[in-house]
Amino acid sequence: MKRFTKLFLSGASVALMAQAANAQQALPQQTDSYFVSAQQELFSKLAEQPNTGRAKNVILFVLDGFSIPTLTAARIYEGQSRGVDGESNVLSFEKLLPYVALSKTYTHDSQVADSAPTATAMTTGVKSLNGTIGVTQKVTLENCASQKGAEAESIFELAEKAGLSTGIISTARITHATPAAAYAHTAFRDWESDATLSEEAKQNGCKDIAAQLIDWSAGNGFEVVLGGGRSNFLPESAADPEAADKTGARKDGRNLVDEWKAKYNDGAYVWNKTEFDAVDAEKTEHLFGLFERSHMQYEADRAKDKGGEPSLAEMTGKAIDVLSKNKEGFVLMVEAGRIDHAHHAGNAARALADTVAAAQALQVAYDKVNPQETLIVLTADHSHTMTINGYPKRNNPILGIAGTGDDKKPYTTLSYANGPGAKLDEPRPDLTNVDTTDLDFLQPALVPLGESETHGGDDVAIFAAGPWAHLFRGVVEQNLIYHVMAYASQLPSRVKAETTGAVK
Amino acid sequence: MQRRDLLKLLSFGTGALMFPGTSANAAVPVLKFRELYVRGDELSDLTKSLDGKIVQMTGYMAPPLKPEVRFFVLTKLPMSVCPFCESEAQWPDDLVVAYCDDPIDVVRYTDLIDVEGKLELGFWKDPETQFVSLIRITGATYVKR
Repeated sequence: MKRFTKLFLSGASVALMAQAANAQQALPQQTDSYFVSAQQELFSKLAEQPNTGRAKNVILFVLDGFSIPTLTAARIYEGQSRGVDGESNVLSFEKLLPYVALSKTYTHDSQVADSAPTATAMTTGVKSLNGTIGVTQKVTLENCASQKGAEAESIFELAEKAGLSTGIISTARITHATPAAAYAHTAFRDWESDATLSEEAKQNGCKDIAAQLIDWSAGNGFEVVLGGGRSNFLPESAADPEAADKTGARKDGRNLVDEWKAKYNDGAYVWNKTEFDAVDAEKTEHLFGLFERSHMQYEADRAKDKGGEPSLAEMTGKAIDVLSKNKEGFVLMVEAGRIDHAHHAGNAARALADTVAAAQALQVAYDKVNPQETLIVLTADHSHTMTINGYPKRNNPILGIAGTGDDKKPYTTLSYANGPGAKLDEPRPDLTNVDTTDLDFLQPALVPLGESETHGGDDVAIFAAGPWAHLFRGVVEQNLIYHVMAYASQLPSRVKAETTGAVK
Repeated sequence: MQRRDLLKLLSFGTGALMFPGTSANAAVPVLKFRELYVRGDELSDLTKSLDGKIVQMTGYMAPPLKPEVRFFVLTKLPMSVCPFCESEAQWPDDLVVAYCDDPIDVVRYTDLIDVEGKLELGFWKDPETQFVSLIRITGATYVKR
């Protein structure tokens, strides 16, 4: 009844506002299409009510490298791909996640972040050092001994202790920085398998990230793990199932896939799309999928993968089917990990295609949960240096030409401040007659950094919906994301209650 | 003057004509990286139909394994090791090996090049370098864009 009253009141508020709008008939722009559209948006916002219930579920979407220009360009790209107006197009999360804030991504030691401490900020609530995961500012980079006493507990560890289900999904290696921040504690993000551990790390007993995932002791472990990075879980003696001439990367002889299978006899391990599609979520309590030796394919290349890979949306849907069987709820991270990689390559087309795939995954997630009891957050870990140049006409292809420079050469709408797209000690290329919309085209860059375009230091967006999502407003520190997720789900107090037997 | 130098000069005069989907020589079919395979390592009908024929491919010259070699690896995107996304060199699956008649002049790995030569398909291990390839361009000449 209380909810009905709220709805009734909000309906009355809208009616009052509509009357107020009618009173503005004298405005000459009253019937202008833009005016009317924005006025309707106003009414919609007036009807919104903050949700102060407890979040049963938390879903954190991390779009790696999803800068604000990437948001704008992806919106236009997606619209133009469907043959509709790109500039006014709306991506799923723009429509479904109404609360927005700006996130300050600097880290404890750096003006411009990498994905390790930024993911840590979101999963543990602290800012830390570039290159480190799941540890506080007390740690020293690449120093295993300094890890002791510096570990930070993640919201996934809290959730497992409180009896919730947990899941991590990434199109990158599942041992890569962002998903690793859900379970790993390491002084160096590159310690993904034992083959990359330093001597000091081995001597001081630090575990590689893949081993930390399999040995994770929180609750009954992740119910869902889906991503790339298979070679970090297989020994050198094991042939890869997708590439017979390739083997695992591990030197310690451990076959972590076999260990996982032995640990979860109620689980399913899959490495290709056929096996993934065959998984019955109703009957599967634990799901482990490793679809590539390294990162999964870019969305633009996925259809040509030898073994076949599910899309990010398909992985998200299956994960929620498995996780939502737990009445206590679940915490899930979904990482679109390769937006970042395409930007590093200076290849905007693939970055935008992967962003669109993430928007599709968000839609799937939203449709599968009760939005009233699920806090959904979508954000980036850090920015990139891609910019949107002036002044292309409305509906100009977003991957097209924006204008002509003083050197009489065309320039593209999208370009990078640095990266592989720059010439070394040569004038910039003449793009006359070049198809800049080609999937493989590398956008021009100013500073030649052939190996990799860099991250950017500008703020990124946070989108949110569900319980306590309204706390995401204004310009906030990135590590606030953890605190809102923890507050909305009340996980810290639920863990305490569990230890006294009050829960479960 | 070596053949590749001649091509460079020719390219200078016709540079404006060099763009994806075309060749300096209109009779030479252009083969794109994404047209090489149907799925995985299954060659496309287009690729198979061009076996033994002169083709043009556009891509990037990966840094050569050592100086004074007569071959290089042609890649779809610049061959790089990203400090934040890779902890090891990751060779792409769709690389093409170009064999030249003369020692190569190295082109920076971020500069696009157009490569022309005879397409050869099938598993082959270079007896000198032990380098394994599935798709090769032999008698290759190349021009930087």
